Amino acid sequence: MKYYEVEILDGKTREKLCFLDKVEPNATVAEIKNLFHKNHPQWYPARQSLRLDPKGKSLKDEDILQNLPVGTTATIYFRDLGAQISWVTVFLTEYAGPLLIYLLFYFRVPFIYGRKYDFTSSKYSVVHLACICHSFHYIKRLLETLFVHRFSHGTMPLRNIFKNCTYYWGFAAWMAYYINHPLYTPPAYGHEQVKLALILFLFCQVGNFSIHIALRNLRPAGSKTRKIPYPTKNPFTWLFLFISCPNYTYEVGSWIGFAIMTQCLPVALFSLVGFIQMTIWAKGKHRSYLKEFRDYPPLRSPIIPFLL
Amino acid sequence: MAASSSTSSSRRADNGLGGGGGQQQQQQTAGSRRRKGPGALATAYLVLYNVVMTAGWLVIAVGLVRAYIAKGSYHNLYYSIEKPLKFFQTGALLEILHCAIGIVPSSVVLTAFQVMSRVFLTWAVTHSVKEVQTEDSVLLFVVAWTVTEIIRYSFYTFSLLNHLPYLIKWARYTLFIVLYPMGVSGELLTIYAALPFVRQSGLYSISLPNKYNFSFDYYTFLILTMISYIPSKYITLLNPSTLEIQVYLKAIYNVCKSLCKIPT
Repeated sequence: MKYYEVEILDGKTREKLCFLDKVEPNATVAEIKNLFHKNHPQWYPARQSLRLDPKGKSLKDEDILQNLPVGTTATIYFRDLGAQISWVTVFLTEYAGPLLIYLLFYFRVPFIYGRKYDFTSSKYSVVHLACICHSFHYIKRLLETLFVHRFSHGTMPLRNIFKNCTYYWGFAAWMAYYINHPLYTPPAYGHEQVKLALILFLFCQVGNFSIHIALRNLRPAGSKTRKIPYPTKNPFTWLFLFISCPNYTYEVGSWIGFAIMTQCLPVALFSLVGFIQMTIWAKGKHRSYLKEFRDYPPLRSPIIPFLL
Repeated sequence: MAASSSTSSSRRADNGLGGGGGQQQQQQTAGSRRRKGPGALATAYLVLYNVVMTAGWLVIAVGLVRAYIAKGSYHNLYYSIEKPLKFFQTGALLEILHCAIGIVPSSVVLTAFQVMSRVFLTWAVTHSVKEVQTEDSVLLFVVAWTVTEIIRYSFYTFSLLNHLPYLIKWARYTLFIVLYPMGVSGELLTIYAALPFVRQSGLYSISLPNKYNFSFDYYTFLILTMISYIPSKYITLLNPSTLEIQVYLKAIYNVCKSLCKIPT
């Protein structure tokens, strides 16, 4: 068997960081990352980005050395991705925050609304319903993160957690402050409005969950394969006929429902900001589907049927 | 605010050919390397825009000087230039559009921030809180803006025409050492002066209960705006990679050097 030699250079300075002789031809990039990690303990595999061209694309972990366009002496460029944190940790922190923060406002703990309102309860039933819906939404997200989602990437940069938590926690506090305020004004059209909003909210929650299950079943446990999602027997997944990311459509729908239910401007703003962000994600995902699959259904648009 | 745009341009100039610098210069050098420049029609429009803006701010400058001579006092000069100031400062909003459609290659977000903060001060503070119009701090930032803008717009005009006089280049990269702190302190003092009147009148504030379940306190907002001056000014000077602070310090050093040379 003929061994390969692999030299790893710094992507920015071209400084030689590591030389590996006798690498087996069928070694994967993940194995090379492990070897490199032994040389440089500070750069664990998830932090490493290895490329053949210093400005090119990162190699995938499952790429095999002998299949890469390199000679028997391969030059690989290394880029440090910075401290990493697992997706699961990020999601759990992101979602546990709003759940708890909202409840602090709901129970009117001291130092928020003034002393005479401490631990009092709102006289409007919609406020209690809103608390149930909000908690339900985030508990659902937490459980999905633990038991449903299969992440294709194990980690993300550490600084993202600060950014994301500021966004989720900040908005949750802002919304909860007004919904649970002693001077809260209930919806203008009364029970009809609340009922309609609740139906929209629940419908979208079930839809969102259905899509998450469908996406989970697309990817066998432990694998990183990517497939085109198609409608299944569950009618909620039929949106896949027209949209690439119906999970986002349902998510936006849930928040619109919550905004109508509470008739609270900050909730509407949160829905809008969320919609813009999810549209950006959906467009990216849609583009990568088109790039990856030649036979991708041409009828689909990223997030809103036929429009966006 | 005035000088933050000039610092960012001066950094670009030093990164570029070491020559004229500024928005348009960078655009030309980048254009020859990558895409085409703004095109003849866009250039003609930009020249026209910058000429009009230079002239507009010159009108304000002349108005200030004439009113000062007529009155013999620098108090309350705001009223003599109120209309052109509002008009031409609002006209700067077009700069955001220029960046957005790509005929000027600066960051839309950064430009929007710079322009909006000035438009905010013009309309939401000085125009809206009548009581501060008599404050001298208004004159402080008005003078700083006027001088900065005359230099900046004429700089762009001459750069677009590829004839940048040394004096204007020098003025742009030197005078902001004075104009920048002058503008910022004028703006901050004016907002500060507006605070008690805003609190008293409840201007632009929304209070609970209302059917939108939303409240807004303009007084708090103004205080937050003042606080935001610290990091944003600090960041514009330091980012990216401390180059801007180097340019700023270099400019101060050069001035000191030339001043020291005079006696010898």
